Amino acid sequence: MTRTTGRRSGVAPAPRGQVRRRRGVQRWHVAAALATLVLAALASLFVGVGDLTPADLLDPDEAQARVLWTSRVPRLLAILLAGSAMAVAGLVMMHLTRNRFVSPQTAGTTEWVGLGIVVATLSFGGASVLGKMVIGVVFALAGTALFVWLLQRMVLTDVVVVPLVGILLGGVVSAAATFLAYRFDLLQTVDVWMNGDFSGVLAGRYELLWLVLAATVVAYLWADRFSVAGMGESFAINLGVAYTRVVMVGLAIASVVTAIVVVSVGSIPFLGLVVPNLVTLAMGDDLRRVLPVTALTGAAFVLVCDVLARTVRYPYEVPVGMIGGVVGGVLFIWLLLRARKRAL
Amino acid sequence: MRTPSRPMAALSLTVATALAVSACGGDTTAEASSESAEVTVAHAQGETAVPADPQTVVVFDVGVLSTLDSLGVEVAGVPEATYPESLAQYGGDEYAKVGSLFEPDYEAVDALEPDLIVVGGRSAAVYPELAEIAPTIDLTVDNGDFLASFEERVTTLAEVFGEEDAVADRLAALDQRVAEVRETAAGAGDALFVMTNAGEVSAYGPETRFGMVYSELGLTPTDEALTAADHGDAISFEYIAEKDPDILLVLDRDAAIGESGTAAQQVLDNELVRGTTAWQDDDVHHLDSSVWYIAPNGLPSVEQMVEEVAAAVE
Repeated sequence: MTRTTGRRSGVAPAPRGQVRRRRGVQRWHVAAALATLVLAALASLFVGVGDLTPADLLDPDEAQARVLWTSRVPRLLAILLAGSAMAVAGLVMMHLTRNRFVSPQTAGTTEWVGLGIVVATLSFGGASVLGKMVIGVVFALAGTALFVWLLQRMVLTDVVVVPLVGILLGGVVSAAATFLAYRFDLLQTVDVWMNGDFSGVLAGRYELLWLVLAATVVAYLWADRFSVAGMGESFAINLGVAYTRVVMVGLAIASVVTAIVVVSVGSIPFLGLVVPNLVTLAMGDDLRRVLPVTALTGAAFVLVCDVLARTVRYPYEVPVGMIGGVVGGVLFIWLLLRARKRAL
Repeated sequence: MRTPSRPMAALSLTVATALAVSACGGDTTAEASSESAEVTVAHAQGETAVPADPQTVVVFDVGVLSTLDSLGVEVAGVPEATYPESLAQYGGDEYAKVGSLFEPDYEAVDALEPDLIVVGGRSAAVYPELAEIAPTIDLTVDNGDFLASFEERVTTLAEVFGEEDAVADRLAALDQRVAEVRETAAGAGDALFVMTNAGEVSAYGPETRFGMVYSELGLTPTDEALTAADHGDAISFEYIAEKDPDILLVLDRDAAIGESGTAAQQVLDNELVRGTTAWQDDDVHHLDSSVWYIAPNGLPSVEQMVEEVAAAVE
């Protein structure tokens, strides 16, 4: 404990590390990352049970065209949309709560969506996807607002307390959802809903995910406002920023994105936590600069996980949520160890 | 999840069972009168002495319940579950509810003072706890050797309730029918058994809980490599398109548990599945979900399952 504090106080006022790190990422790095993402995306188009090679693209027969347009392309788009939006949602939450460990998964937002889905199913007898989504959004908004309200009323002595509160809250909510699901014989169904999985994605079955793109764009346009709000209420008000409104919009973006992604494809663990941290670690804290790269990295993370999910037990599938849990977990531990060394 | 064990009850039951067993063993030559008091039956988890023709029966397995129902045996306690249409009356209040398919409400079971408790499949794991309350038998069917195992369990049940003759006749008829279906199935092309669950699909192979369609009813599996995983192997629609089965047997899990959100018809009605031979030849068969999923090991259930496959291969 003392060692960490000592290091932190030793490093925090020294901007040199920050500056060097910031200089470390240059335009061509981003370009290279983008190129990698495009290549991985193309690769993802040719990984699957159906027979489709790059050469076939020039002259696809009927079956190949069908595989490409009903399965591969929609799946790729769903991955890119869900991955980028969830990473950005995590980044925004991280900034607004001024805590690196706050993400939709550590603030209980995901669990609230789960409860919302269970309630939607029970009260509207197997509600449509749109119905689940609307109720999921409502629950996510209410839950995230509750989380923030709790934070404002607590004396926080340690950065770790904030995500702990979120995880505790999430635990309680998820227990309620499990209880309901258990009583109404829905446990396994809820499992399938919550565990991230792109195997059901087809043309005509994922289009609601495009809504998260709108949320991501709004997050980018408001990036500077979130940055300022992230510096604290009085600071923001002094700069003439409507603090409460900005925070509400930010949390609404995160909640809506989480709800839409979880209802459409399920939850991908660590995505909203690890990706923003990795990118911030490399590029510093300027939200406007970091946000696009976070979105790209989030998309790449899910892309890699989903290609693994398709190949690990080929020709069968493994839920991408499971792969994400393993990959994200390893990255998170690496991040923590690194933080100890470098005093994040 | 586990209830506190009851050492005294366990002890006294063990002693009682020991006495009963030794009593039985003591006079193997005894005449019918003493035999009718108790029957020792072999089941999936050992042997248990149960009173012949028990009056108060608690059943956790819906398959067993369907067998008893068709034999006209009254039961006292049943689990809270989504019952197949033919067993809908058991969902009502006149039958005491003794927990879920997986987890008993031990107090409710105890309060009924049952003469016999029957578990199987989902409830097999709680056999030791229930055995402390009353004589309990586990009629779990071995999916690796479905028909033989199923017939053995049904016969056991018939012995306890003195219905051997009726059951033997029905089993003979069933065997006859299975042989006929096998013959037709041999020339019916290959088949893929899939279950839809909340919009996602998994496939079941020969050694799984639905494997009897291959191993007993003679369908040729489209994919031999499918594992014996309890919940099947998760697949994509591309997989169905690529494997191109001649017959697609579909189980709608959401319908089986009483959910109507994304019906299997809807889930499978997409361009990729529409391209398969099964779809084009109108050979996508939606099975009676609650019978296959909730009550697959009952005598009337298996009779129905055989007929459903027979209809599919004709």
